[in-house]
Amino acid sequence: MNPYLAGVLLGLTLLASYLILGAGLGASSGIARVGAYFELVLTPARTLASKYFGSWGEQPLKYYLVFMLAGVFFGGLISALLSGRCEFGVERGAKCAPKKRLLFALAGGILAGFASRLANGCTSGQALSGSAVLLTGSLLFLVCLFAGGYSAAWFVRRQWDD
Amino acid sequence: MINTFFRSGTLDTPAAFLASLLIGIAFGVALEQAGFGSSRRLSGIFYFRDMAVLKVMFTAVIVAMLGITYAKTFGWVTMENVYFMPTLYAAQIVGGLVFGVGFVMSGWCPGTGAVGLASGKIDALVFLLGAIGGSMLYNEVYPILAPITQGDRGVIFAYDSLGITEASFAFFLTLIAVVCFWGAEYIEKKRYGKGDQWGSPFLKAFSVVLFVAAFGLFALVGQSKVTTASAPVTAAQQEGKLLAGLQAGLDHFEPQELADRLLGGDPSIMLVDIRTPAEFINFHIRSAVNVQVADLPVALAPYKNQGLLVLYSNGMTHPAQARDSLFRLGFSNVYLLTDGLEGFIKTCLQPVSLRSEPVPLVLAAKINAWRAFFLAPVTPVGETASKAKLSKALDLSSLTIPGLVTYRE
Repeated sequence: MNPYLAGVLLGLTLLASYLILGAGLGASSGIARVGAYFELVLTPARTLASKYFGSWGEQPLKYYLVFMLAGVFFGGLISALLSGRCEFGVERGAKCAPKKRLLFALAGGILAGFASRLANGCTSGQALSGSAVLLTGSLLFLVCLFAGGYSAAWFVRRQWDD
Repeated sequence: MINTFFRSGTLDTPAAFLASLLIGIAFGVALEQAGFGSSRRLSGIFYFRDMAVLKVMFTAVIVAMLGITYAKTFGWVTMENVYFMPTLYAAQIVGGLVFGVGFVMSGWCPGTGAVGLASGKIDALVFLLGAIGGSMLYNEVYPILAPITQGDRGVIFAYDSLGITEASFAFFLTLIAVVCFWGAEYIEKKRYGKGDQWGSPFLKAFSVVLFVAAFGLFALVGQSKVTTASAPVTAAQQEGKLLAGLQAGLDHFEPQELADRLLGGDPSIMLVDIRTPAEFINFHIRSAVNVQVADLPVALAPYKNQGLLVLYSNGMTHPAQARDSLFRLGFSNVYLLTDGLEGFIKTCLQPVSLRSEPVPLVLAAKINAWRAFFLAPVTPVGETASKAKLSKALDLSSLTIPGLVTYRE
């Protein structure tokens, strides 16, 4: 799709979220709550006693952003199937070993998961939703996100070199 | 006017979950249609080979921003209808930098990772597992990091930080976006000899539409006299308001009124018990949630200036200090329960037969109704995510409140 039209669709979705839910879009909260759920299953007492996950109580998945994350998955699935873009594999540059690419994906995931808890949001909650309502902290997060990304880009460029 | 789930305090109901699921589906479709089920495309912006991230995200920000600003100008929504995240400079700067490194390394972010997983990308699955691990790691080190995640400065808007009106900020941001779109097309044209949309009729029309929509805000805001930008309040003015409120006794909530409103099921009241969890479990006023003083700014952030927040402890000192601190953080809806829990028990729950002074019949009937409500065994309520801890079952046999005699029928 024309990226600007996809952007308009995304913007209208965000607007609907603000007008219906009264809150912006979010994805990282849902992921963190899945983590809290796993920990609760494994070590219930320890998790409930922890300061951060513990504050979400015994049912961390009963939260609107968990349902939103599930929606993102299903929406992505519907769209990918209809557009014929669903295919299994590791996306990488032809010269990059899949193992190396997966290692980068894992390390990047850990950093992104950690940072989104620290900043209380990710590209969805802070950069997109917070910036759209012109919050100073969210715009700052957006600027820092690209500053961090551009300064590290050179070091991880090989995974895309074809 | 629209009443949002957030405003009505029903974000934790099945209706809100269903709405979130549907909005999430639209979100997922938009991301996938933008081509964000591909980590190669997402990381393209960092190597100037595919500027889709900039085009899609900046368009979405501008569309939503203009939509919300128009909705506010027409009075469809007010600021109280929406949850705004507080600004935490250190956490957001460090978080943004680290997140950016994670984004470029993995080629994914949480929302697009879920779309990538749906598109069958194994690297997206690995990214999501990593993000779950990163969240768990955060939980482990949270006690150390807590200082920079607190020091809440409250909700700060960029136009207030810069001292300009919301309409002019929105206009400038729209201009910047249009310039960036043309810049992004130019970069792609330079690189590949042809831009996706460089000089296309579509991009020209799109730029004009955004420009006109942003300019229209000026005219509207000027005419309707709806000022959405709140004037910055100086510390002295803020303190003066606090002291004036104290003098007028505006910060107190009388026990009888609280008892009546809780009995009537008033949804606008959120009762917060700031005693220790042990004391809370032993006895608390029905419907209260237990939040420790240090956690109040974070736990109550979603309820900032939404409804009435009534704090209580055994006495009055701690709630009063907490209330003043919250007021400085921008909460104008925090009240203290007059005479604390002790006063509440004495005024509302002490049986008529044990009172030294004669009790009028009307009040006696009320006391009996309050006792039936507040001393009734409550079935355990599932802990909800948005409220810290809901009441556990109130076990009458374990009550050890001095002077409180319980009876059973």
